[in-house]
Amino acid sequence: MIRFLADRMIQSSIVLLLMSFLIYGLIGLMPGDPIDLMFSANPDFTAEDAQRLKALYGLDQPLIDRYFRWLGDALQGDFGYSRLYSQPVFDVLGPRLGNTALFLGVSLILSLAVAIPLGLIAAMRPYGVLDYSINLVCFAGISAPPFWLALLAIMLFSITLGWFPAGGQAPPGSGFLKTIEHAILPISVLTIASIGGYTRFMRASTLAVMRQDYIRTAQAKGLGKTRLVLGHALQNALLPLVTIVALSFGTLFSGALITETIFAWLGMGKTIYDAILGNDYNLALIGLLLATAMALIGNILADILYAALDPRLDFKSEGL
Amino acid sequence: MTDALMSPSVSPARRRLQRFLRHRMAVLSAIILILLIAAAMSASLIEDALGVSATKTDLFGRFLPPSDKNWLGTDEVGRDVLARLLYGGQVSLLVGLVTAIATAIIGALVGLIAGFRGGWIDALLMRFTDAVISLPLLPLLIVLAAIDLNKLGLPADLATSEDISLYRIIVIIALFGWTSVARLVRAEALALRRRDFVRAALAQGAKPRHIILKHLLPNVASPLVVATTLSIGNVILFESVLSFLGLGIQPPTPSWGNMLTNAQDVIWDNPTLAVWPGLMIFVTVIAFNFLGDGLQDALDPRADLER
Amino acid sequence: MMKAFRALGRAALAALILSGFGAPAALAASKEKLTIGLSQFPSTLHPNFDSMLAKSYINAMARRLITVHNADWEVICVLCLELPDLEKNTARFEMTPDGKPGLAVDYSLDPRAVWADGTPMTTKDIKFTWEVGRHPETGIDNVELFRRILSIDVHDDHRFTLHLDRRSCDYQGINGFEILPEHVEAAAFTDPANYRKQTFYDRDPTNPGLWFGPYKIKQVVNGDRIILDRNPRWWGKSPFFDEIEVRVIENTAALTANLLAGDIDMIAGESGISIDQALSFERRHGDDFQIIYRAGLVYEHLDVNLDSPILGDVAVRQALIQGIDRQAISERLFQGKQPVAHGQVHPLDSVHYDRIPRYGFDPEKAGAALDAAGWTMGPNGIRQNAEGTPFQFELITTAGNKTRELVQQVLQSQWREIGVDVRLRNEPPRVLFGETIAKRKFTGMAMFAWLSSPQNIPRTTLHSEMIPTEENAWAGQNYTGYNNPRMDTVIDDLELVCEEEANQALWQELQTTYATDLPAIPLYFRSQPFILPKNLTGLTPTGHQYSSTHWVEEWAIAE
Repeated sequence: MIRFLADRMIQSSIVLLLMSFLIYGLIGLMPGDPIDLMFSANPDFTAEDAQRLKALYGLDQPLIDRYFRWLGDALQGDFGYSRLYSQPVFDVLGPRLGNTALFLGVSLILSLAVAIPLGLIAAMRPYGVLDYSINLVCFAGISAPPFWLALLAIMLFSITLGWFPAGGQAPPGSGFLKTIEHAILPISVLTIASIGGYTRFMRASTLAVMRQDYIRTAQAKGLGKTRLVLGHALQNALLPLVTIVALSFGTLFSGALITETIFAWLGMGKTIYDAILGNDYNLALIGLLLATAMALIGNILADILYAALDPRLDFKSEGL
Repeated sequence: MTDALMSPSVSPARRRLQRFLRHRMAVLSAIILILLIAAAMSASLIEDALGVSATKTDLFGRFLPPSDKNWLGTDEVGRDVLARLLYGGQVSLLVGLVTAIATAIIGALVGLIAGFRGGWIDALLMRFTDAVISLPLLPLLIVLAAIDLNKLGLPADLATSEDISLYRIIVIIALFGWTSVARLVRAEALALRRRDFVRAALAQGAKPRHIILKHLLPNVASPLVVATTLSIGNVILFESVLSFLGLGIQPPTPSWGNMLTNAQDVIWDNPTLAVWPGLMIFVTVIAFNFLGDGLQDALDPRADLER
Repeated sequence: MMKAFRALGRAALAALILSGFGAPAALAASKEKLTIGLSQFPSTLHPNFDSMLAKSYINAMARRLITVHNADWEVICVLCLELPDLEKNTARFEMTPDGKPGLAVDYSLDPRAVWADGTPMTTKDIKFTWEVGRHPETGIDNVELFRRILSIDVHDDHRFTLHLDRRSCDYQGINGFEILPEHVEAAAFTDPANYRKQTFYDRDPTNPGLWFGPYKIKQVVNGDRIILDRNPRWWGKSPFFDEIEVRVIENTAALTANLLAGDIDMIAGESGISIDQALSFERRHGDDFQIIYRAGLVYEHLDVNLDSPILGDVAVRQALIQGIDRQAISERLFQGKQPVAHGQVHPLDSVHYDRIPRYGFDPEKAGAALDAAGWTMGPNGIRQNAEGTPFQFELITTAGNKTRELVQQVLQSQWREIGVDVRLRNEPPRVLFGETIAKRKFTGMAMFAWLSSPQNIPRTTLHSEMIPTEENAWAGQNYTGYNNPRMDTVIDDLELVCEEEANQALWQELQTTYATDLPAIPLYFRSQPFILPKNLTGLTPTGHQYSSTHWVEEWAIAE
C-alpha cells in the first residue's frame, strides 16, 4: 500500500511538472499581453512606454526563459505576484479556496444526498411511473443551459419573490446566517445541475448489482426487495459512484465557472478564467495546477477506494 | 415478460426494436429529433416559403411580434427568429453530431488497442487517458479557443475563414472528449479478449487488425452507440456554455448557444428571444438523453431480465 | 406528450418570471449607505499603475487631481488655487537647459489640503510623486507626463513651478499628475524596482494616509466590493452619504438583476452596462429609475487598412460609407442616444467643426460610385473588377461585445445590398488589440473605439510617423497606415500654434481632411447609460475619462 502510494505520488508530481510547462506554453500561445491591451485603449500611450513596461515585467523575454525563471522561484516557495489583483498569488487564492470548498462541498453533499435515494428508488422498479418521473427530472436538470438556469433563479427568487440576495458573498464578518443566505441560490443551482448525472449513475450501478447472481440467489431465497436493495445492493452500487465523484474532483474544482460568474461568487473557476483572460500568468498557473492536483488526488483516492472496497472481495465475505 | 419476447423464433434485431419501442420516452424523443433535424435541414426552403431571411437585417422591423410572415417574430436587428432558429439548429446539431462521432472514433481506437494489446501499451495509453482526464477542461478550452491559429502554422485563409470558430470548437472538444469512450471500450475489449471466439481466432493466427475489426468492434458497437448519442446532447450544451463566455460560434453564423447568449442583453423587454433558443437546447439535449437511454436498453440483452 | 407538455410549461414559466414581476420604484436606500454597481474590479488602487475606468471611478471619491476636466469639458483647478496663464505671467516661455523652447508653469496647492491621517499635503508630496513617476524602474503607465517635467522649483510648502520640456497649447492642466503621499509611500519606494509590489495602495489600502477625498477606503474585498466611508479631514463640502459601497458584478445581465432585486442602488455609467442593455431595461423598468444617457468621448469607427488593394481607393471608401445607413443605426438601434459620427471630433468638443463633408445613406449613389471606380455588379450579386476579382473584404471586431457584433451584422447586410461581400471574423479583445490591429494584420476593416479627452490632438492615430511597422517595433496607433503630408503638418502645427483663430483654422482643416480622406469610417459616438434611483440628485455625468465621482460630494437624496 505504501509502495503504491509512493509510486503514485511520484507519478503525480511528474504530471504536475509537465502540466505547469504545458499551461505556461499554452498561455504564451494566446496573443496579446497585458501591456498590449493597455496600449490599445489609450491613444496617449507611447511605444517607448510599452517597451519599457514589457521589459520591466519580463514580457520581452522568450517564453521558455520566463518559464524556467518562474519554476526556479516557485521551487524556492515564491509563487509570484498576481497581476490582476496586485497581491501575492496565495493571498488572492486563499479566500477563494475557502469559498470554493464551501460552495462545492455543500453542493456535492446535497446532490449526493438527493441522488443516492433517487437512484435507488428508480432502480427498485425500473420502467415504472416513478422511474420515468425521476428520469425526466434528472434529464431536465442536465439539459438546461447552466447560465440560463442561474438567471431564471435570480429572477424568480431574488427579484419576483425577494427571498435571497441576487449574488455576491456576505461581507466578511457579517455572520454565519448572512453567509448561508448568500450561498443558497448558487449552491442550489449547482446542485440541480449535478443531481441528474449522479442519480442516473446510481440507478445504473444499482441495476447492474441487482443482476449479479448473489442478489438473484438472495431474491430466490425470498428476501424482500427493499431489504435486498438496502442491505446488499446499496453498498456495492455506491462504490462506482464514489469512484466517479473522486475522479471528477478536478472538474468540480474549476468547472463551476458559469454559476460563479452569474452569482458573482468568488470561486476558483472564475478566478482561473479571469486570470487566463487577463494574462495573469502566476495566478492562472497556480490555479490550474491546483485544479490538476485535485484531479490527481481524486484519481489516487479512486484507486485506493477500489482496492479497499473491491466488490468481489466484499461479495466473498458475504459468503453468498 | 411476454412469451413472444422470450421465444427463440424472434430475430435479435427485431427483439431490439421491440425493446426500444417499449421505451416510450425514447420513441417520442426519436420522433422529436427527426422532426427537428428535418426542419433544420429545410431551413432555406422555409425561409423562401415564408419570404423571410435569417441574415438580412431590417432596422425598421426590430422586435416584431409573431405574425403570419414571421411566425416567431423578429430579433433585435429585424431578422426572422424562426429562420435563425432553424439555421442555428443546423449548426448546433452539426457540431454535436460531428464532435460526438469524432470522439467516438478516437475513443474507440485508443480503447480497442489498449484493451486488445494489453501490457505496456495498455498501461501507457491508460496513463495518457488519465492525464487527459485530469486536465482542467473548461479553463484549457478557454486557452485553446483564444490561441492564435496563425502561430500554429495554419494556412491564413483557413485561419481567418468565417467558419473557423465552428471547426475550432469541433476539434477542441474532440481532442478532450474521447477519454470516457476510451475507458468504456477498453473495459469491453479486455473482457472480450478472454472470450473463446477471440482466443480461437488468435490461435488460428488471425492478424490483430482482423481480430479488432471483425470480432471486437462489432461487440463494442452497442455501448459505443449509446455513449455517442449521449455525448451529442452534452456537446450542444457545451457549445452554449462556450458562447456564454464569448468563445463559441461567432456571428454571423447563428447557433442556439450564441442566440441564447445574445438575448441576455434584451432580456428585460424581449424575454421570448431567449426563451426560444433556450427551449431548443433544452428539448434537444433531453431528447438525446432519452434516446441514449432507450438505445441502451434496446441494445443490452440483459435489460430484458429486469422487466 | 408528457415532455411536450413539460416543455410548454417551462416556456410559460419563463415568460411568467420574465414579464410578470414588477420591481418597486427604486429609491436610494438611505442616507447611511449608497451601493453602486460596477462591471469591473480595479487591478490595483495605486493611481499610477494600470489605468482603468473602474479604478479612476473609485479613486475619485477618495482622492482628487490637481486639475481636471469638468462636466462642461473645461479644465478647472481642484487641488490648485489658480490655473497657470501666460497672460498673468503664471506661465512663461523659457529655454530648456539644452536650448530648446520650454515652458514654466506656476501652481499653488490649496493650503487646506490634508491627507486623511492629518498630515498636510505639501510640495514634498509633489516632488516625491515626480521622482516616482520619472524613475525608469517603477513601471508607471503614463511616464511621458513625468518625463516632460524637467525640474520642479519648490518655493514653499504650497507653491511650486514646473519646468516643461516643450511648449504646447494645452499647458494649463496637469490632470495626470496624481499626488502620492510622501510620508507613507517613501518607505515603499526605497527599492524602486519593487515599488509596484511594495506600494501601500495594495498592501494596506485602508491606510488613511493614502487618501484625501470626501471619502476614504474602509474595506477592500478583492474581486467583490470596496467600501468607502467619510473622511473626517476632508476640507471641502461634506458628502451626503455616510458610506459608499462599490459592488462588482461582471455579468451585466446579473448586474441589472441585482439592481432590480435592490441589492445595489445604481449602475455607474462609466463602467456599467452597454447601451442596448440599458435601452432594453428602460423599456421595461424605465418608470422606476432615473436613466441618464451621456454622450461621451468614445469614438466608434471602422479602421480601414489603406494598404488593401480594394479599400485603398478613396472613391471606394466614400462609396462604401454611403452604402450604410448610420442614421438608422443610431435612431433605431440606439434610439438616438448615440449620435452619428461624421468625423473623429465629438460635436460637444470646443474644437469641433461642423461644415465638413458629410455622407448620407444613398445606396444608389454608392452603387454608381462603385461602378465608376471599376467595380461592376457580377452575376452572383457581388461586384467585381475588370480582372474578375470579387469585391470582398473582412470586417473584424472584438468577440463577445454584443453591441458591436450587432452593428457589424447590420453593416454586412447593408453592404450586401450594394453588392459588397463582407466577411465577419471576431477575436477576443486581447488577440484583436494585442496582435491583429497593433501589428496591422487586419486585411479589411476593424471596428473598435478610441476613448479620449477633450481637444485631444490625434497625433498617435493620424500622423504618418505613427504607422506601426516591424522596424519601429510596432510603435504608434496609426493602424490604417494613413499617410498624408498635409495632415502631418497640421498635427505638428496644432501643438504649437495656440493663438485662437489660427488654432481653430488648423482644427477645421484637420477635420475636413479626415472626412475627405476617410482613413477610417466614422460610425457613432458612444453614450454612457447611468441607471440611478429616482430620488438621487447632484450626479452629473461627464462623458469623458474623468468620472462623475470627482463631484461625489454633490450627490444627495431629494427629500
